[in-house]
Parts: sequence; C-alpha cells; structure tokens
Amino acid sequence: MAAMRALALALRAGAAALAMVAIAASAAEPTDISVKAAFLPRFARYVTWPASALPKAGGPYQLCVIGSDPFGSLLDQTAASQTVDGRKILVRRLNSASGAEECQIAFVANNRLGELNGMDGKPVLTVTDGPAGSPRGIIHFAIVGGRVRFFIDQASAQQRRLGISSRLLALALGVRR
Amino acid sequence: MTARERSQINWRSAPIAIFAFALLILLGGIGVSVQFNSAYNRARIEQTQGFADVLAASTAAAVDFDDPAAAQDAANAYRVNKQIRLIAIFDRTGKAIAGYQRTGAPIPRSIEALPTADESEIRVSSPIAQAGQHVGMVYLDIDKDLKSRTFARYGIMLGLFLLAALVVATVGLAQVQLRRANRALKSRAEDLGRANDLLEEQMEERAKAEEQLRQSQKMQALGQLTGGIAHDFNNLLTVIQGSADMLCRPELPEAKRARFAQAIVQAATNAASLTSQLLAFARRQPLMPERIDVNALIADMRELIEGTVGERIALQIELGNKPCAVKADRAQLQSAVLNIASNARDAMDGRGTLTIRTGTVRNAAGDSMVAIEIADTGTGMDAETVDRIFEPFFTTKGTGKGTGLGLSQVYGFASQSGGDVRVDSAPGRGTRLTLTLACAGDEEPVDAGARPPEFANQPAVSILVVEDNEEVGAFAETLLSELGHLVTRAASGEEALDLARARKFDIVLSDVVMPGMGGLKLAQVLAEEQPRLPVVLATGYSQEIARSGSGGRAVILKPYRLATLSETLATALQSPQ
Repeated sequence: MAAMRALALALRAGAAALAMVAIAASAAEPTDISVKAAFLPRFARYVTWPASALPKAGGPYQLCVIGSDPFGSLLDQTAASQTVDGRKILVRRLNSASGAEECQIAFVANNRLGELNGMDGKPVLTVTDGPAGSPRGIIHFAIVGGRVRFFIDQASAQQRRLGISSRLLALALGVRR
Repeated sequence: MTARERSQINWRSAPIAIFAFALLILLGGIGVSVQFNSAYNRARIEQTQGFADVLAASTAAAVDFDDPAAAQDAANAYRVNKQIRLIAIFDRTGKAIAGYQRTGAPIPRSIEALPTADESEIRVSSPIAQAGQHVGMVYLDIDKDLKSRTFARYGIMLGLFLLAALVVATVGLAQVQLRRANRALKSRAEDLGRANDLLEEQMEERAKAEEQLRQSQKMQALGQLTGGIAHDFNNLLTVIQGSADMLCRPELPEAKRARFAQAIVQAATNAASLTSQLLAFARRQPLMPERIDVNALIADMRELIEGTVGERIALQIELGNKPCAVKADRAQLQSAVLNIASNARDAMDGRGTLTIRTGTVRNAAGDSMVAIEIADTGTGMDAETVDRIFEPFFTTKGTGKGTGLGLSQVYGFASQSGGDVRVDSAPGRGTRLTLTLACAGDEEPVDAGARPPEFANQPAVSILVVEDNEEVGAFAETLLSELGHLVTRAASGEEALDLARARKFDIVLSDVVMPGMGGLKLAQVLAEEQPRLPVVLATGYSQEIARSGSGGRAVILKPYRLATLSETLATALQSPQ
C-alpha cells in the first residue's frame, strides 16, 4: 500500500512536471481563481451531509462565500452549470459566519479566516485558500506544479458528521485523519 | 424384389446415411461452436463493459477535478490485462484526459478523433457521472478473441473434422470389408453349389453303379439258375437218352426193354417235378386251391414226415386249438412241409428233434393267419446263409444231396397263396421256419373223395386237339388215338375255331400259349358259340392262368401222362358246361 502510494506520488510528480511545461507553453490557460471557482460547486457531489443539514426538500444546495469574494461572477457561472442529484447550487455571499448554518459549503475568504472557529462542529464543508500557516478549512486549496490541488481534513469532516467520498480523498494532496 | 436384393440396397445406402450423419455432426459441432462463441462474446462484452464502468466510477473525481495524473493512474491499473488495446478517458467537453494504447501510440485527443472499432476488437464506453452529473466518458477497446480461445476453437473444429473424417474412413473401410466378405461368401456359396453338383453327380454315378451291381447280381443268379437247371436236366436227359438208345436196339429181351422204359418214365417224372418246383418258386404254378384243415393235414402227414426224417429223429407234433381252415393247393402245401422237414433232417445230421406246431397268429394288417412252425435242433445258419436260402439252386449240401429248389418252392408257394415264410436261425441254435397262410372264409369243404370215371373206358369220342408244337401235337394224337378216340388236329386257335364251326366235336383239348389266338381266347369264343362243348386247357406254364385262373375250365399240366390226360378228359366230358 505504501509502495503503491509512493509510486502514485512519483507518477503524479512526473505528471506535474509535464503540466508545468504545458502551462509554460500555453499562457492562455484558465487562471487559478477560475479553476477554484470551477471546483467549489463540484465538491458537493463527493460529500454527504447529515439529513438535518441537507437543503429543504427540492431546495438548492447553498454555496456560501464568507468575506471578500475572489471569484465574482465566475462562481455564479460554474455553480449554475453544476447539479447535485438533480438539485441546483445557489451561491450566497455572507460577511460573517452568522447565517452560514444553512450553507452546505462555505468558502472562507482570507480576510475572514477567524470565522472558522465559530463554525466548528457545524455540518458545513469549509473551504479555505489561505497562505501557509493560516487556519484551514476541511478542504484547503494549494497550488502544486502550477495546478490547483487541495488538502482534506478528514478528521474535522468526521467531527462535523460529513462523509467525504474516497474518490475525492484519492485526489487530495494530503489527508489529515 | 427379393429380400436379398432389398438387404443389398440397404447396405449400399447405409454409407451415404453415415456420411450424412458425419456431416451433420460436423455442422452441429460448428453450430454449437458458433453458438458458444457468440455467448462467449456476449459475456466478454459484458465483462469489458464492467471494466469500463468501474474505470468510469473510479475516475469520476479525477475527471471532475481535472486531475489527469490520477485518471492515468486509474487507467494504468488495467495494463495488466493484455487484451485491452485502448483506454481513453474524456472529460465532459469530449477532450481526452488520460488513457493509453497497447501499441504505445498516444491516445486520440478527443472523442471525435477516436477511430471506429475494427472487426477484431470490442469497444465499450461508459459515461462518467457523479451524483447524477455527467462529467465525462470512458472508452475501452479489447481484443475480440483470445488467441488461446481462437486456437481452441479452431482446434475443436479440426477435432470435429478429424472425427468426421475418421467416421467416414471407418465406415468406408467397414464397407470395403463388408464387400470383401460378401464376395468371399458369394464365392463360397458358388463353391458349395459346385460341390453340391459334384455330389449329385457322384450320387447318380453311385446309383448307376448300384443298378449295375444289381443287374450283375441278377445275371449271376440267373446264371446259377440256368446252370442248375442245365445240370439237373442233363442228368435226367442222360438217363432218357441212354435208355432210349438201348430201346432202339433190336432183339432186346422183354425184361430189359421194360426196365429201360421204366427208367425213362422215372427220369421224366423227376424232370417234371423239377420244373414244377421251379414254377412254384416263380409263383407261376397253376394252383388248385381248396379248403384245408391244417391240423388234419399235418396229422395225416405224420407217417410221411417220419419216413422222410428217419427213425433217429424224434418228431413232435403240437397242434393248436382249432386253427381256421386255409385255402391252398393241397399237394403244394404238403410238398412245402416235406421240403422244410427234409432240410431240417439234413441240418440235424440225422439226430435230434423236429417239432411241428400249428396255431393262429395275426399279420401286420391284423388279419387272422394260420401258422405252421417247423423247428429243428440242428446246426443253425449264419445271417448270410439265411439271406440266401430261398434262392433257387442255392444249397449248402454236398453235390447230389439236394437240388437247392426245396425252400424256393416253399417261398414261391407261400407268396402265391397270400401267405409268408419266416426264418429264425443262428449258428448252434437250430432253425425255425414259420409258414403262415391266410384263413379261408366259411365254405363247405370240397369232397375230394370222388373218383373221376376212367376215360379209357369211354366210348369213342371226337376230339379236337389244338397244339402249335408239332411233336407235342403228334404225341397227344398218338395217345388219344391209341385209346380209340377220333382225333382232329389244329395248329392254331384260328384254325381250331374254323374246324369247330365246320364240324361237330365232343371235346376240345387246347394248348394255352400259342401264336395268334391263345387257348383261353379260343375257349372263351367257343363257350359263347357252343356252350355245351367242353374245353380242356393244357399248359406247361401260363402267366395268364397263373395270374387270373382258367375261368373254371379244366387245366392239365404238361408234361402230362396218359393216366392224367385220360382222367381229366373224362371229368370234363361228364361235368355240365
């Protein structure tokens, strides 16, 4: 298992190196922000929430941005193009963690990382994009080899009664258990 | 169509049926193989689809989050399956993300660039979806057939073909063998047929040889018979010739003349007895059957038999309880009994016991028969001798002791009288001859005591003598003229008839066997034309009379003597016709 993982990492490193070459070759590639905007709604498909935390019957999933929004209309576009089990994804923008109880996914902007503490134990998938050493959400974006990747805090997710698909875990740069 | 032809045709059509059967097996095998193959292909498609589905599920996140490396990892896991030619993973826009080709060539950049699958591969695709959202496609090409499977399939085909070929070859060989066996059988049957023909030929030849043997035996018997007759007659003729020569001498004293004449008479008597016995054997003796009480006949013969066998042989006569009367020629029956007795005497060499028994027995048909059993205590005979004792001139006695005709007479008489004679003998155990004769119906016994009147004393009568033999005719004429009668001679039946119509005769004496009209015919015609004219028939031997009798007419046997002729004619003249 360890050997497999090492092999996978080595391959991934190789692939990343190739990707860098590719990025260098084509400057017109999507930016990190747009990739992150594309990823955010998609997480909903790989996570299960406790029944109490799910949207009201027929209602959309709520993707909340807490603090200063780095995505702008990009996020609205990507959210509109995604569905989760046939449900739409609604983007809400909030100033603080208050009112974030109904959000299934909450992107906590760098200027509101302090809000994360207030959301401890709540069944919300928190996503962060902060600099090194700053507090992290369950999913934390990172740029590796010019590509947007992410870490997953499985322990925190379990604490909040969130189930994260092994498929997603398999893509993570690292998983905290 | 015969059964044989039918079976041949069946045999001929059998190989065709078997070839057809072999072909059917081959086709069936191919069909089953194709069926198996398509089932296998279906299973293979399902299996491949399974691969694609699993890959699609496991790469969903990688595609969703644009992680080609992870997708490639997932695809690479399938490289262990050497049958997979291509795996291509596309995102929702149709752009290739990851995958590989077995050949090492890069994968097409998009779904549109994917070349269509060729005949040798199976292509399956599986959509990549997560939580109901379509995120991409997985394409997977796999070898349609395993090489080993292909080999196995062709192997099975080859096996089936070989099997069919083997069946055909075996049947062909069997057919060849069968034909060969048939040919052998046919040739054997032909051989058998030839052998059969040969056998039949040999049987025919054998029958011919047996016929020849019988013929030669007959000739031998005939030779013996003629030789015997010649021998006996020569002896008698010697006496007659010699005596006649002596009588011709002039001045022969009267006493000698009488002796020589007597010798001639005796010799002639013996000769007559000889011919009579011969005829008896030939069963052509003119018989004069009469009703005879066998017990009385045997009792009357006691002295005669005692005289024949001699004093040293004891004679025992055991007469049965009233056996029925028989109808037979008395003289012949007596002669038969005497003949048997004299043979018994010779067998006992003059010493022993002769037993004569009478009784009633039944023959095979159940008729009552009288049996006269004459047994001796003599030497007995072996089977070979027993077989021949009834042959004329067969004798075991020394020359001059017997004629060899005695038992022949017994046999001839018994047969002609509707009876039989049986011999029971073995060396050292004596001999027993049993003479059986049929019982006669109830009839008054004929009074044999009446004596015919003397013809010699008859007044002269007119006699027509019919005789084709000149000597016999002249002799009869001399005899009858000597007796004082008027004799007219005719040499044939026709002449006699003319004479009888022209003149009146008192009696006719006619020979029986003559060229042209015979004596019997003449008698018949005369009986119709002149019923009152008596006819006496004279014969030495007549088949016709022996067979059907004389029709009630008087018959005189040749050679006849003066006294007999005279008597017979007198009786005929007296009895009403």
